[in-house]
Formats: sequence, structure tokens, C-alpha cells
Amino acid sequence: MPRPRPAPDTYKTGLIRPPDFDQFWQGVLADAAEIPLNPSMEPVPHRSTDEVEVFEIGYDSLDGVRIAGWYCRPRETYLTGPYPGLLLVPGYISEPTLPKSWAKLGYAAVGVAPRGKLRSNGQFNPGYPGLLLENSMDRNTYSYRGFYVDAVRALDFVKTRPEVDAERIGVHGSSQGGALTIVVSALRAGEIAAAAAGAPYLCCIMESARLSHTYPYEEINEYLRLYPEREAAMTETMAYFDCVNLAPLVTCPTMVYIGQVDDCVPPETGYALRDALTCPVEFHASDDCAHDAGVYWKMSRVTSFLAEHLQPASTGRRAEQTVG
Amino acid sequence: MPQTTPTPSEFAAFWDALDAELAGLPAVADLEPLPLRSGPDYTCYTLRLTSVGPYRIFGYYSVPTGPGPHPGLLLTPRYGSVNHVPDYAERKRYAVLQIMHRGQRLADRPYAAAYPGLLTDGIDTPEGYVYRGIVADCLRAAEFLASRDEVDRSRIGIAGDDLAIITAARRPVFSVLQVTGYLLYRAAEARLRSEAYPTEELNDYTRAFPDQEAAIDQTVGYYGAELFAPAVTIPSQLAVGDDGAINGPEWLAPLAEALGGPVDLYRLTHAGGADNDALDTWLAGQLGVPPLPKFLRELA
Repeated sequence: MPRPRPAPDTYKTGLIRPPDFDQFWQGVLADAAEIPLNPSMEPVPHRSTDEVEVFEIGYDSLDGVRIAGWYCRPRETYLTGPYPGLLLVPGYISEPTLPKSWAKLGYAAVGVAPRGKLRSNGQFNPGYPGLLLENSMDRNTYSYRGFYVDAVRALDFVKTRPEVDAERIGVHGSSQGGALTIVVSALRAGEIAAAAAGAPYLCCIMESARLSHTYPYEEINEYLRLYPEREAAMTETMAYFDCVNLAPLVTCPTMVYIGQVDDCVPPETGYALRDALTCPVEFHASDDCAHDAGVYWKMSRVTSFLAEHLQPASTGRRAEQTVG
Repeated sequence: MPQTTPTPSEFAAFWDALDAELAGLPAVADLEPLPLRSGPDYTCYTLRLTSVGPYRIFGYYSVPTGPGPHPGLLLTPRYGSVNHVPDYAERKRYAVLQIMHRGQRLADRPYAAAYPGLLTDGIDTPEGYVYRGIVADCLRAAEFLASRDEVDRSRIGIAGDDLAIITAARRPVFSVLQVTGYLLYRAAEARLRSEAYPTEELNDYTRAFPDQEAAIDQTVGYYGAELFAPAVTIPSQLAVGDDGAINGPEWLAPLAEALGGPVDLYRLTHAGGADNDALDTWLAGQLGVPPLPKFLRELA
């Protein structure tokens, strides 16, 4: 019998943090640390301007997968370094950001393309739909194991750049980008100075599928309709990748913004994330907003929040709205 | 100022030639049931069709459970490498087709589009521009949907960006049009006002090839939605942004005035939930089905 949906801020998650959760991630990061980064950086003159230089970058990640990205930095003639670093992490189906507008704000900015995204899909390409459930019966082979590490290693890339001030590196994204914002901030706590996450996906993953009929979570509903016997194994795996379980590891100031009627990422799970974070949190919930998370109004605050913590040389311009 | 708009005869000849090319190619539709994406309320299929090239394109086609015919809905491709399977709320009410154009995932062999990059692929000439083929892909999808017995041919809608306008103009099988984005409309002017991608791709290209600037403006002129608009005589809804914006009321006025049927201008609130519901309600009303918000107000 259908029942009215309770107010999202009253939601209490039943998510369980596996007892070996920290050990699991320490192991994954130790495996990743064994792999040389092999960073590369090629100028892209036709996408560069008088103010911003654009580069295609590459680095190695878990399982030997080569990861691509965009790197945009202010020209010295426009703004002098050192620059704060900013990782822009992508949504589920969106293209990796080519972050020229952020470089114009004074950041050395990386648009990350984790495995499966265009230009990082030569060795791994589960597609969309597909990524969310690829090898989800086993936490040691689950797609997001490598995908998360790819985002984390973008931090290693930006720290190789002499023009970047390693004490001022932030991370930002919406939807899956919001999830990756939490992931990077949690798994490399102490190295991220500020984080801004819109409509953070991958929070209370299995519960989200019961609160939504919208993709990507609908992938879970469809799969379990055909294979209900696999729910327990999937639930066990997902707990290791759930951002609500990663949240207590985050130490930097963090902004989270959500939509109160988000059909894609249930607002209940945004509140669950807020409640799990123990770092300084600035939380915004916008009425009548869905997966946009109120970005029309909140983008200026994202920009000022990051600027307050990362101190770019120029704050007089606006970045493009972040999409998930 | 170089000419950026083709003459009426150039325009007509260009698009008539594409129609002739398509007409000479059998579509060879291949529908396969897709149990993973099907459920009690609908059956989903993968669809493959031949478009100009020849090139094999892909779609997700979903049909509601129960006696038809059902209202049809064609969703034209977004600008990006991935289009989702149609949403649950659409699949419950419409025989809905989401087409992937050449270069997008599932239609990316042998041609894989680059993002950024697609918007300027072949842009030096109207004939070589990748969007000629992309328009053909959308036209092919319209022909498929209108040919289906389970679709009520008096109630077929089309929704998307200006590809939806072009498709509705060239294939008069639709009863309603909804436009929520503008990619090639007034592109030669838009690029001078924006540094945001994907429009910035045009600026990147002109920086790299300054001698081609007039040529690319000429090419995108063939794809301007306002030139197609008089042939669209069905009710249309345009999503309208803020005053002064590139999708604002002044910017869209030439398009709204050129459309040949009644036009509803929906002023976006920018609150995504409210906007989704309002747009859904209008389209559902036009196609004779109940509105259905995506956000679940009740839980099982």
C-alpha cells in the first residue's frame, strides 16, 4: 500500500559501515601507491586563450588503466602563480569538464575523466547504463574501486605541478561529481583544503534505489527484478563504496547542496550525508529543486566558498554552472 | 558582414537532397526485446536503423503495457556522448523512442564523437558538417516511430533541443513539439556572446582557423532553427530563460514568431522540480495522458 513520503530531513539511514571498511580502503590505496603515476601533459593550443592554457593530461591508475583529463591554468601574463589547485569531477553521464572558466578565476584546474569516460575508455568501458553495476558482486573487482582511485590520483597529478600550491587544493562536482568530491576528500583527508558537493550521488546507495525510479539508481531496481537473489551480495559490496560511510573521514570544510524534490538522488540521502560528516559543513537544501540542486542560486556561493578557502588571485569572474 | 543565412532556394535544395538520400536507403529496423530494462508497466527494446552514410544508429524504444495504440514520443539526442534510457515516467505513458545519433555511445562505431569536438566536426561546409548526418538520424527515428502500429499516429510528440524543431519541420508526423534547449539556433551570434561549452567549441575553432570564420558561420546558418520554424504548424512549447540570456525571451523571439503554429512560452523558474513538473504537465495534456512527476510523492 503506497504511503506518503515523509519529510526528507527526518530520514534515518539503515546503512551499516563494514567493520573492515577502513582496512579495505587502506589496502586499495596501498595497491594504487605501488603504481607509478607517469603523468603526461600535452598543450592544446586551439582551446587555449590569451588568459588560459589548456592541456590534455594523462596518468596511470589501478589495474594499469590510463586515465585522461583536461588541465587548465592561467597564463603567467594573465595571473601569476602559484595557483590553488581545483579538481572538477564529473557526473555519471556528463562529459568531463574542460575547466577554462575556473582557470580564468585563478585556479590550476583539472577536469578528471575516470575510467569509462571518453578518452579513458580504451581498457574499461561498461557504458551507461552499466557503470553502476559492473562487477558489483565483489568489492575487490567492483567498477567504482578503480573509478574512485582514478579521481584520487588526479590529486597526485595536480601535486606534480610546480605552479600549484599544494596547501590550497580543492575539489568540486555535482551528482556523481558530488560523490567523487566526498571520495577524494575522504581518501586523501589532510590534502584537500575545501570541497563543494552538489546533489551527492552514491549515498545510501541501496536505499536510494527504493526511493527513486530515475537512472542511474533505476539500474539497481531493474537488475534486482531479474536477479533478486543477488541483492545481499550487492548490498555488501555497495557498503564499501557508499559516501555516507566515507564521510567521517573528511576533515576539510565542505559545502553540500541538494534539491528537496530530486528524483535522481533522493534528498533523504543528502541529509544522511550531512549527518555523517564530522568536518565543518555548510548545507543548503533548495525547495522545488530537483537534480539541479538549486545551482542557479547556489553557484555563486560555490564560487565564493571555494575562493574563501583556496584564495585564487582573481575572484571577479564567474565560473560556468556545474552540471552533474 | 558575410552572409550567414542561405537563400530560401539554397536552403530548400540542401535539405531536399538529404531527404532524397534517406529515401534511397532502407532503414532495416532491427528491434530486440531488452528484458533487463523492461518491467510490469512497459517493454523495452533496443533498436537499430540505417541512416545516411550508410550508418547504423541506435535507440531505446519502450512501449507501455496494455492495449494500444499509445501516444508516441520521440526524444532527440542531447549534446553529449550518452543518452539515458527513457525515464520511467515516460515509459509508463508513451511509446517512447530515445535515439542516439552517430558518434554517441551505442552508435559510436565506426565513428566516435569527441566532446568537445563534435560541434565543429566538418563545419567548413554545410555538406560536410557532421550535423547533416545527425539530422538524418533524427529524421530516420521519426519515420520509425510514425510507422508503428502500436503508436496512435494522431498523438505523437517530439521533445529535445533544436534538433526537435528541425525534425518536426521535415517530418510532419507530430502533433506537438516541446523545446528545452538551443544548440545551433543563432549559433553565429551566440558564439560571440558566450565562452561556455559547447558554444565555446565554435570560438576555439575560429581561433585555430581564423580564415574559416565566415565559412563556419555560413554552415551553421543552414541549421538555424528559425529557418525550419515556419514549417512547424503544430502546437509548440519553448522553454525560456532569463531576460538577456542566450535562451531568454528576446533571444528566442525570432524563433517564436517564425513558428507556424500556436506557441506556448514557458518561463523557466530554474527550480528543476517545478520546471520538470510544468513541462511534463503541458506535454501530457497535449498528448492526452495524465501528468506524472518524476519525484515520487508516495513510496511503496
